[in-house]
Amino acid sequence: MFGKGSSKASRARRRNDVLAFVALLAYTAFALFPLFWIFLLSLKTQRDVIATPPKFFFTPTFQNYAEVLSRPDFLTPFKNSVIVTSGSLLLSALIALPAAYALARMEFRGKEDLAFSFLSLRFAPELIILLPLFVIYQSFGLYDTYIGLILVYQLITFPLMVWMMRSFLEDVPKELEEAVQIDGGSWFTSFRMIITRIALPGLAASCVLSFIYAWNHFVFALVLASQRTQVITGGLLQFISFEQIQWGAMAAGVMLAIIPEFIIAVFALRYMIRGLTAGTVKG
Amino acid sequence: MNTSRRLPYLLMLPGIALLLAVLYPFLSGVYWSFTNFDLTLGQNPAFSGLTNYLQAFALSGEGLHAILVTFAYAALAVAVQTLLGFGVALLLMREGLHIRFFRALIVLPLLMPPVIATMMWRVMMTPDGVLNYMLSWVYLPAFDWLGSTSTALFSVVLIDTWIYTPFVILILLAGMQSIPTEVHEAARVDGASYLREIWNLVVPLLRPFFIIVIVFRGIDSLKMFDIIYTATRGGPINATMNLHVQSYFTGIRSLNIGYSMTFLVVLWVLCYALAFVLLRVRRGRLA
Repeated sequence: MFGKGSSKASRARRRNDVLAFVALLAYTAFALFPLFWIFLLSLKTQRDVIATPPKFFFTPTFQNYAEVLSRPDFLTPFKNSVIVTSGSLLLSALIALPAAYALARMEFRGKEDLAFSFLSLRFAPELIILLPLFVIYQSFGLYDTYIGLILVYQLITFPLMVWMMRSFLEDVPKELEEAVQIDGGSWFTSFRMIITRIALPGLAASCVLSFIYAWNHFVFALVLASQRTQVITGGLLQFISFEQIQWGAMAAGVMLAIIPEFIIAVFALRYMIRGLTAGTVKG
Repeated sequence: MNTSRRLPYLLMLPGIALLLAVLYPFLSGVYWSFTNFDLTLGQNPAFSGLTNYLQAFALSGEGLHAILVTFAYAALAVAVQTLLGFGVALLLMREGLHIRFFRALIVLPLLMPPVIATMMWRVMMTPDGVLNYMLSWVYLPAFDWLGSTSTALFSVVLIDTWIYTPFVILILLAGMQSIPTEVHEAARVDGASYLREIWNLVVPLLRPFFIIVIVFRGIDSLKMFDIIYTATRGGPINATMNLHVQSYFTGIRSLNIGYSMTFLVVLWVLCYALAFVLLRVRRGRLA
């Protein structure tokens, strides 16, 4: 847009295009530099890490990666994150899919109120639920357990999934149910048809984006998990908390924790906007 | 007919059950804010009226300070990110640029855990770190980014901006792409300048998208925890201690449950006030 003006103004336009491009490059550099720097750090020896002034050129080494991959204080949280995140997604999908279907394809009283109540879980400050749960979990033996974490992760994965899935299910034309009904099929026939065929990519994208949110989450496990079930975010934070700063190892851990996410995210980038706004904006 | 009327509620039953399950800790917590519940004393909570609220927000000043930090952080973050994000989105919309390519690069900070992003910045923000080193290239003085009370709040907002500006960019881009090109052509036929076109045309048309941005970013920065906890733990000398982080230290670390719930109840009210804006926008079918 904002394109072609009159030919008189074309020199000024070209100059503006160059300025715009430079500004965009500057922002991109800002966005990418920390990632680039942490990647460099992950390839440095401890001596290069603490060198002042910081080094941009050095002989790279993979020893940090080798070290991190042999450390239980990295591997255990990584494994825990995989268990907790996939468990939460599975449970959320089971609860959210029928609810999203009802919200998207049916008319009933109190619909918007219920939908908003679900979304309100995402807007609450986490600790207002976590602090009471911290007390309750200890008396129920749920503190520092996978089940306890999977239950509390529903606070983030469930509202996201309901709202995203709803927005995708709403995209399916209403005529579909009518056609199924004329053929004598029940609601379940159309439900199965919609979710297994038409809306499948959208539903998959909902899962992917909820995965990223759950994987990135920190405060649930900070409050409700200890060493045994600590997840990757809390686990990596320990690397930096100790004073004999192992930034090389930390940086390698960071790269290992985020690269899978980036790869997954590339496939769902198209649906990103719905994920970010819980389906309130259809991008 | 009867079964089909009940069907939607049946389908939502697990979801409703989850809501009810959340209600229990929530209501317990709100009740505890009116009690002297303290895990170090191990007593049964006894009703104490508004004592905690008076203590937090009138007598000690902790609460008022935390509210100020909460607002300052949220206002700064939302203002900076909305302006910067709008600017970058406009740049991306210019003809001849590779939107998809840049969008894929720019979005990366948003995909990583905020805790990990903050750790990266902490490494760069040390006194001997790479940020100060790069400042010295252009003869600028070094900062004690996270270590000084005068810069810490700005530094955490900088980290927040790095992570969440892509959110603003993506939403506003989606909005801009929904504006039909005829609208721009009409403006140009009328001889409107670029800036005038943006101010009189693009901004009003993007109103619902700006509301989404401000509500989502507003709530998330009011209740910001991860970045502040990882970067400064609320320090130095409480310079970045917002309500959410304050409640963690009084509740989980000092185990003074009743008292810490007061911070959370106040924060919850703030977040929900903003959330209702979103609800009304949706009701009006603006978004």
